[in-house]
Amino acid sequence: MTLSETLSQVELFEGLEPDELEQIAAICEERTLESGHVVAKQGDMGDELYIIWEGLVEVVHEETPEDSTPRTVVNLGQGQVFGEMALVDFGPRSATVRVISESAILQAIPREAFLEMCQSHNHLGYVVMRNMAADLSFKLRHQHLIGR
Amino acid sequence: MSTIYKVSYVVQGGDHPGAIVNEDQKPELGQKVTLGSNEFEVVEVVDLMPARGDFNFLHVTVKAIEH
Repeated sequence: MTLSETLSQVELFEGLEPDELEQIAAICEERTLESGHVVAKQGDMGDELYIIWEGLVEVVHEETPEDSTPRTVVNLGQGQVFGEMALVDFGPRSATVRVISESAILQAIPREAFLEMCQSHNHLGYVVMRNMAADLSFKLRHQHLIGR
Repeated sequence: MSTIYKVSYVVQGGDHPGAIVNEDQKPELGQKVTLGSNEFEVVEVVDLMPARGDFNFLHVTVKAIEH
């Protein structure tokens, strides 16, 4: 299976045409990481979005002046996306993300190339941004269910 | 493309944060699932949002399996 075919199984790209998936595949950078590797650190500036190809990561809220205990808020597995908040709002990373499986394979998408693609290809940009909003909504629903 | 189940796993009791994972098969009541290094049993499966394209969105409650 080609990278673009595999990307069609990621919700972020649901609804894209094959040629649009190939454009996304062209800006993906594959990373193989070992257990314990910190992919993103809370407070750092980030300029990449990540797709989990294989493995599991934990999303951790680090200690703050108000709360001295780091807290894992969710684990993310195959097919999930993270790093999207800093990608679209240009703010610092909101959490630390660490590999907790034996290893993990990620696809990294650089912000500049990603936003340029969304701006120059209206259908692609609309679909990806709609799916990103739906993914953020799903994550919010998950947090609501955790707290019930 | 076959159906993909995007699952929000919520763990009953304890302080496990749960997980969000894509699955090839719909989780069933009583099924055992592994999240990281822990094994759980499925106790509830609910549609969380309407399906979109090949994606189904599920909320699954699990409980720890005591050995």
